[in-house]
Amino acid sequence: MAKKPTGSKTYAQLSAELSEIMDWFEGGEVDLDEALAKYQQAAKLIEQMEKHLKTAANKIKKLNA
Amino acid sequence: MQDVILTPSDFVALLNQTLEFAYPAVSIEGELSNFRISKNRWVYFDLKDEQASVPFFGTVYMLPGPLQDGLMVRAVGSPRLHARFGFTLNLQSLVPVGEGALKKAAELLRAKLTAEGLFAPERKRFLPPIPERVGLVTAANSAAYADFVKILNERWSGVEVLLSDVYVQGDQAPGQIVEAIEMLNRLSNLPEVIVITRGGGSAEDLAAFNDERVVRAVAASRVPTLVAVGHEVDFSLAELAADVRASTPSNAAQLLVPDRAAELAHLDAKRQTLKRDLASAYDGAVMELVNRRDALVSQITNVLNAQSQQLQSLRRLIKLFDPQAALKRGYAIIRKGSKIVSSIDQVKIGDHLNLQVQDGTISAKALTKSPKLRAESSRL
Repeated sequence: MAKKPTGSKTYAQLSAELSEIMDWFEGGEVDLDEALAKYQQAAKLIEQMEKHLKTAANKIKKLNA
Repeated sequence: MQDVILTPSDFVALLNQTLEFAYPAVSIEGELSNFRISKNRWVYFDLKDEQASVPFFGTVYMLPGPLQDGLMVRAVGSPRLHARFGFTLNLQSLVPVGEGALKKAAELLRAKLTAEGLFAPERKRFLPPIPERVGLVTAANSAAYADFVKILNERWSGVEVLLSDVYVQGDQAPGQIVEAIEMLNRLSNLPEVIVITRGGGSAEDLAAFNDERVVRAVAASRVPTLVAVGHEVDFSLAELAADVRASTPSNAAQLLVPDRAAELAHLDAKRQTLKRDLASAYDGAVMELVNRRDALVSQITNVLNAQSQQLQSLRRLIKLFDPQAALKRGYAIIRKGSKIVSSIDQVKIGDHLNLQVQDGTISAKALTKSPKLRAESSRL
C-alpha cells in the first residue's frame, strides 16, 4: 500500500469531494449556515491536497518479472 | 563404431543424444520457404539459402505473426532425428530479420489485426486522471526507465509503481512482455494503468512491439494500457493496440499523471473561488433580509394608506352630518326649552322657542302652525 499522508483518502477522492462542494456553491440559492460549514470543509480539503502534493513520494515496487 | 550393430530405433536415440549434447539449440537465419500451418496448430517451414534447405517444425504459439515465403527470418531450434519423419529442427523461436522482412511482417500482421478490429478507436479507454497504482513493463536498467521515473517524480506524488523488469528486445522479449502484462492483470489489487515502454532503436530492436503475441496481450489487457516506444516515424502495432500512445517514455509520464505545479495553482484558484462564493452567499443572505424588510415595510405602508383613506372618507362623511354646515346653509335648529323641535306636534301656539342660527340665537314665539301637504312635496 502506498503511503498516504492524507489519511485514508486518496488524492483523487479528496479532489472529488472538493468538486462536489464547489458544484454545490454554483447551484444558486445557498443557505448561509451551510455555506460556512462547506467552506470550512473545502478549505480543509485543499490543505490536505496541498500537503499531499508537497510531501508524498512515489514508490517503486519491483515485482518478479 | 561400424562394428556395433544397432537397430534403427537405437540409432535414432543415439543420434538424438549426440545432437542434444552437441547442439542443444542453434540459430539459423535464412529465407522462409514452404511455410504452412496445419490444423491451426502445427507449423512447418524450411529455411534456405542458395545451396541448402533446413526443415523446421513448431506450433503456432511460437509465431511472431503472419509470415510468408520469401521473408528473411531467424529461427532458433533443436535439431532432432524423428523416429519416422526424418530430420527436423524443433522450433523454439522465430523472428523476421532485416528491415525489409520486419516491415513486411508488420504489414501482414497489421492487416490481419485491423480486420479483427483490434485497433478500432471505439475500443480505446480513458486513463484515470489521477492514478495511484500503475504497472510498469520495461527494462529496469534502461534510459527509458530512468526517464519515465524522473518525469514521474517531477510531476506527481503518491503513485505506487509496480515494476516488471523485462527484456524489451531479443528473442526472449515477446514472451516476457506478454507474461508481465498478464501477470499485472491477474493481481488481486489491480493497477489502474499499465505502462509498457522502451526507448528508440533499430527495426530489429523494436521487433517485439510488432510481435503478434505482444500486440494481442496489450489489446486483451483488462487494465487500460499506455504504450510508448521511442520511435519517431511509424507506430508499432503494440502502440496501435494500446488505449493511449505516448511518443517517448518521458511523454508517457506526462500523459499518465498531472503536473504538481499546475495542480497547486488550480487549488489556489479554487481557494479564491470559494472565498468569492462564500462572500456571495453572505451578500445573498443580506440581500434576502433587506428584501424581506422592504416587503414588510411596503405591506405596512399599504395597510396604513388604506386605513388613512378610510379615515378620510369617514371624515368627509361626518362633515356632511355636521350641524354647523347645515346652519351655514341657512337652516336653524329650533329648541323648545332644551328639546330640539323636529315636528309641529311638539309646539303649541304661543310657545316660546329658541332659534339657533349659525351666528347666534333668536327668541321667537309660535304664532301659527300648518302641516306640510303631501301633494305639495311630491310636486317638488
